[in-house]
Parts: sequence; structure tokens; C-alpha cells
Amino acid sequence: MTETAAARVEMHDVSKSFGQVRALDAVDFEAAKGEIHALLGENGAGKTTLMNILSGLYRMDAGRIAVDGREVDIGSPQDAIAVGVGMVHQHVELIGNFTALENILLGREGARWKLDVEARRSSVEELAANYGLSIPLDEQVKTLPAGIQQKVEILKALYHGADILILDEPTTMLTPHEVDGLFSILKSFAKGGLTVVFITHKIQEVLDNCDRITVFRGGRKIDTIPREEATREILVRMMMGERGMPPEGERPTGPSAAREGHPALSVRGVRTSAKRGVPLRDVAFDVPRGLIVGMAGISGNGQKELAEALAGLIEVEEGEVHIDGEDVSSLSVAGRIARGMSLLPQDRIEEGILPGLSLAENFVLGLHPHIFRRRGIFEREAVHEMGRNAIAEFNILARNEHVPAAHLSGGNIQKTIVARSVMLAHTTGGKVMIANNPTRGLDVMAASFVHGRLRELRAKGAGVLLISEDLDELCLMSDRIVVIYAGEILGAFDGPKYDIYRIGALMAGQKQGAGS
Amino acid sequence: MAASANVSEKKKIAIEFAVTYAAAGALALACGAVFIVAFGGDVLVALGTVLRSSLGTWGGFAQTLNKFCPLLLASLAVAFGMRGGHFNIGVDGQIYAGAIGMTGTAFALEGMNLPWPVFVPLGLLGGILGGWFWGFIPGILRVRFQVSEIFVTVMLNFVALYLVDYLANGPWNDPLAGEAISLPIPDASVLPQVMPRAGAHAGFIIALAAAVGMYFFMTRTIAGYEIRAVGDNPRAARFGGINVARVTLIIMPTCGALSGLAGALEVSGFHQSLLLGISGAEGAPNYGAMAILIAVIGRNNPLGVTIAAAVFAVLVSGSDSLQRSIGLPGAAVFVFQAIIVLTVVFVQARREIRG
Repeated sequence: MTETAAARVEMHDVSKSFGQVRALDAVDFEAAKGEIHALLGENGAGKTTLMNILSGLYRMDAGRIAVDGREVDIGSPQDAIAVGVGMVHQHVELIGNFTALENILLGREGARWKLDVEARRSSVEELAANYGLSIPLDEQVKTLPAGIQQKVEILKALYHGADILILDEPTTMLTPHEVDGLFSILKSFAKGGLTVVFITHKIQEVLDNCDRITVFRGGRKIDTIPREEATREILVRMMMGERGMPPEGERPTGPSAAREGHPALSVRGVRTSAKRGVPLRDVAFDVPRGLIVGMAGISGNGQKELAEALAGLIEVEEGEVHIDGEDVSSLSVAGRIARGMSLLPQDRIEEGILPGLSLAENFVLGLHPHIFRRRGIFEREAVHEMGRNAIAEFNILARNEHVPAAHLSGGNIQKTIVARSVMLAHTTGGKVMIANNPTRGLDVMAASFVHGRLRELRAKGAGVLLISEDLDELCLMSDRIVVIYAGEILGAFDGPKYDIYRIGALMAGQKQGAGS
Repeated sequence: MAASANVSEKKKIAIEFAVTYAAAGALALACGAVFIVAFGGDVLVALGTVLRSSLGTWGGFAQTLNKFCPLLLASLAVAFGMRGGHFNIGVDGQIYAGAIGMTGTAFALEGMNLPWPVFVPLGLLGGILGGWFWGFIPGILRVRFQVSEIFVTVMLNFVALYLVDYLANGPWNDPLAGEAISLPIPDASVLPQVMPRAGAHAGFIIALAAAVGMYFFMTRTIAGYEIRAVGDNPRAARFGGINVARVTLIIMPTCGALSGLAGALEVSGFHQSLLLGISGAEGAPNYGAMAILIAVIGRNNPLGVTIAAAVFAVLVSGSDSLQRSIGLPGAAVFVFQAIIVLTVVFVQARREIRG
């Protein structure tokens, strides 16, 4: 496929600014009929912004867009779909209480007042069959797994007439098997003449699945290269620029690195009530000092409940939680923090950040009873100084320590809460760190920053429990991996090498694959 | 460098504030003018009358100060709750509870011949405790049974109101007055006047001190930090080891204590007996309702609330004169207040949408 092949979509000199930030700077992009085209770049590189312009979500400040050689003006998602552009966003944007069929028809009901779902069922079924998408059309969307929800979104875009299909970070929520399934579908789409553009920061996915790759960095297009010319090293260099490769860091060594003495964290037969979400059933495992123990599992299998039970946020009905040999089952969150527990909550917006408080005040949450309690007075100067240091040390992009945390970007918010829990670990003697999906939605640089901090804690002899839905991350980081499914630990695998398909089978609940 | 960035940041915020409020003020004036004209009044005369009667004479100024005191304390009570994420609409009940506490303490200590510097603080303390208890009830119900404080505080408003009704008509009734009013409290429990001839009592000084105190409490103490954290994102606060239940049991009773002090000062400084209608003048919205508006306009910030409370005090004390001078009903002022609030909220929302 060369530059002269019939371009399905062309974008020329596209620029877009948000306030002071230049998100896109005179970017060119073109995608051909029948190809899978990857947009690769860090968060904030401009790839999603460019596709949001193409799909009518944003207006460009300057530039031209042509579809099939004809210049078009795309001012809304309706305009975009009219020329065949449909986008599937990173976060599912379906209505949970509607069935799959109702969601697919939404916005294209036909009659002005009357929603006649049944009349259109056959056309949706036919389309799904043509594209090899098997979807339970009458299930409520909220009951479907993430992988199926995504297929609903894809079918919806196709039903609305998309033949240029844009997917934003489509694999974030999927298991390895689901990822394989998604890409085989996308490949058949491309073979059938659709144009597929997918946005990602995962290099391996790009190498495995694409025809051409366009790399973005800092709002500029770096280059477009065919798959045959791409290697991991070339792509990393294009993404990172002069900063070069992210540090590979020390690889996990496996359980032999465990230090002597009490395990940092010992979970003994923990059960929780079904009133608190997915009930935990006899969960038992240790996190020895000096190790990173990864917890693999598909979202919603009890990871959240486990993290909260360990933190002291939900009650343990049966069983015990020990930190460094001490039973902390009956202690409050603050009591556990005082005994050396650090928490990195999964949802940085809902559970991590205090949006209206200043950055400096965000850093000290959890720490505040330990270092600032002088007759109950909040030592603002000390807090501010700590904030300034943290901004510098953790390389957080913020004007100063006084800005409200809500003003930061997602990556910098994550850095803020990582900085908080690392500082907490240093202050309290950091025996155990519980990190729940600490790199979700982060770009390569930010993720490797988080990984570096977790390895640092490990090197200092802390035990780290790394809960993640990203199996690649777990394999890269963990000395041991335990798999959770439906509130139960189904197996444990010792590192440093892992068989991801055996782990994947356990993640899907197949017990016979139980590990070493 | 960080310091200078900080200054420019603050300047930017200050300018944004000024623009918001100038725009809202202009819009409110315009709407108010339309309203006055519709009633057949003269806009400039109306405005001049309100300002002259509330600020232009010593007597009027004293009345403004006397209104400022309960308005400020009640608004601080609402703002304090809002900062902690709790919507306290029980200010009226807490004011009544404070008034009962003050009056009861005054009657209980009547025979002891205490000098006023001892008696007045004891009486006010009784009022603070009364309000504190009225705030503690929704706090503990929230913590123990997850009952919304909104419902509980509204219900407690009625309880307090009818309790005052009972006391003023029953055990504490002044038989000579022939109406629902208690016997006067002893002279030594009456708050001293600051402007004796004009009739301003010292309550506004106490209210201002409470505003300063709240500012320092919120920004300089661990407890204040925890309250702001809980109000900002209770879930994140819990992950940070903050005991949200304990914080709630600080917030609601403190709201009550601030309102209770307002009620106590109304008794000790102004009415000098317990009666219905302590929370708000006749024909006017209750202090509790106005306090919510003031807290919204002042963005729950003690300084902002103080300024907004002052503006409202001017309007309230000027409202009577409207009727006398141009025949507008006194309630016109409250329409005007509502217009201010709506325009401020509107302008704020516009700015937030535009980013």
C-alpha cells in the first residue's frame, strides 16, 4: 500500500488548540480503503484529538478534510456519519438499561416519534451476520461483558453507515482472547473493503495487526510507515523522540527474591458479604517482602472488593489480614496506613483525587495525621514545600502547588496520587503497597514512571500487590501472579516467565488450567 | 518563581470573581429596575431610599448591623456544612434551639446575681449548646442510619418552631404581654449595646469573629482539612484514611452551634425574650432560607459570605422604607434578592460551561 493508493480519507494541515495548548500542529493524515491503520503515540500526542475532529466531535481551527477526494465539512457526528465516518470511543458510550438492539438503533429509529425496534431487527441481524459479529441483541447492555459491549458499539457504527471505522484504545478492557477475537474481526472488515483506524499506545498490538502506522508526538505527526518497515525499536524511538527508550528497568526475578521474615501482607481465608459487591470466597495468598505479586483477572471479579477489604474500607466477615505479622483485620484505614500500608486506588477521579483542593493538599491526604499534626494545626508552609518538591521529583506538569487538582490532565492526576502513596510509604516505613490498576489509561512514559516507583518500593523491601487487567503489565512486573475469578483465587504462577494463555484461561474461569 | 506564579494565579481568580459579580450585579439591577418600573415606582428613588434608610442614618445603620449578625452566622452555618458536603437546611430550627438554650440558661441562672460579663457568655454558651444539639441529631442519624440530613433538618425545623410556640405560650409566657412571648430575660444576660442611642448590639462583632475563626479553622487545622477533603470527594477521603463518620459528627453539630449562636444573640441582643418569629422579620423570608442564598453567592467562603451577608443586611433593613417612600411592598426587596441570586448562579454557570 503506497501513498498513491486511493486515499479513502485525507486530512491536511489540521491544527487545533485548547486554550493555550496546541493539541495538533498542521497535521497530515491519510488512510486507504481496505487497510488497518494504527495511530500510535503517547497520551496527549494528538491522535485522539485528530480522530475526534474526523468524527465530528471537535471543530478544527484550520485544515482540510477530504473523503474519496471530495472536500467535506464535518461539523457534527451526524456530518461524519453522513460521509461514512464512525468512531468507537475508549469508554463505552451505550445506554446500560437499553438492550443491545435498542442501543444500535438509537439515533436512527426511522420514524420521528415512534420507536419501532422490531421492524428493524432483521436488518440488524443480517448486518451482524455479514460481519461475523455474534451479539445477544435482547440482553441489557449493562449485563454484557466489556468485549461484547464493544462489539455492540462496532455494530452500531456499521449500522449507521460507517465504512471508515475509528476505534480509540479498543483493547484496554479486554482479555487476551478477546483481543485476538477483536483483531480477527477487524482484519475481516479490512478485507471486505472497510477502512479501520485504531488508536493505541501499545506497540505490540500495532506490530501484530496493522498495515500501516502513523506515529504522533507532541501534537505533530512524525511519520507514516508500512508495517514491514516497523520494528519495536523504531516505533519507540518515533514515539519518544530524543528521550529515547523508556528504561526497561530490572526484570522480575521470581519468588526467590523474597526476603526473610513475616510476609508484608498475608491474606488468610478472607470472605466478604455479597452486599458489598462481588463476595470474596476464602481468598488466601501472601505478598512476601521484596516481591511484586500480580493479581490477574477480568474487571469485576472481586479485585475492587479485595483492595477495599485489604484497605479496611469494607468489612471482612471471615478470615484475617496481616501486615508484617500483625493482624490488622479490625483496624481502620488510618490504623492500617499507620502500620505501613499504602494504597493506590483504582479510580483516580472517584477515589484518588480531591478535585477542588490544591495539588499540595492532595499530596498530604493520608499522610496528614503523621507529619503535620502539631497540636492539630495544619502547617501550610510545610505542606506547600512538600508540594513543590513532589512536583519537581515526580515531574508533574502543573503551574504550581496551589492549582486545584481538577485542572491537571489524567496522566498528571495519576502521577499525583502515585506521588502521594510513594511519599506515604516512605514516611510510614512502607511495608506494603496495594496498587489497583495503577497504569490504566496512562501512556508509555507515565506507565513506566509508575512501574519504576513500584520497583523502587520492591527494592527497598516492601511487598507490592499489583492488581491489573493488563496481562502484559503483570508479566513485565510480577515475581508471582495469582488469578482471581468470581471472588476466588483460581491459581498462582511463579515468575519470571509466564504462559499468558494458561493465565488467560484461568481469568476466564476455566479451572482445569490451574497453574504451577 | 513559584511565588510570583502564585500571585498571578490569585490575581486571575480575583479578576474572574470581580467580573462574575459585576456582571451579576448589573444584570440584577437591570432586572430589578424592570420590576420596580412595572410596579409604577421610580428606580433611582427606590434605590436611594433603600441605601439611605439602611446606611444613611445612625438608626438605620444600627438596624443593618443587627440584621447582619444573624444573617452572617446563619450563612456561615450553611457554608460550613456545604464545605463538608452536607446540605444544612435546618438553620431556622437551630436558631430556635439556640434561642431556647439562651433563654433557658438566662432563666435558670436568674437568681444567682451574676455580673453581665459572666452571665452573657454563659447564656450564649447555652444557646450554642442548644444549636449544637440540634445539629448533632441529623449528624448522628446520618452516621448511624444513613438518613439524609436534608430530611432530618427540615423536620427538626418544625420541632423547634413548635417547641418555641409551646414555651412562649406556656411555661415561660409573659402573662402581661397577652401574646406568644416569654418573660424578658434578666438585665444582666442582655448583650451590651455598641451604639446605645442608635440601638446596635455587639452581636455583629461576635459574628465577624466567627467568620474569621471559620476561615482559620478551615485552612489551618487538620480537622478543617479533613472536612474540606470529605466535602470535596468523600470516597477519596476514605481511601486516605479519613474517618468520614467522625468528620460528619464535627460538621453538623458545628453548623448547629453557629446557628444556635445566631439565635442566642437575637434573644440576648435584640428581642430580650423568646418569641416566635425570631428567625426572620415579619413578612420576610426566614434567616435559614436567606442563609442558603448568601452561602451560594459567597461561594461558601467566609470572606465571600461576609460580603454577601452585608449586602443582604442592607437590603433587608432598607426594605421597610420602600413601602413608606414609594408605596412598593417591602417584599419587593426579597424579589430583588432572589434576582441577585439567580443572576449570580446564572453567570457562574455560564462561565463554567464556557470553561
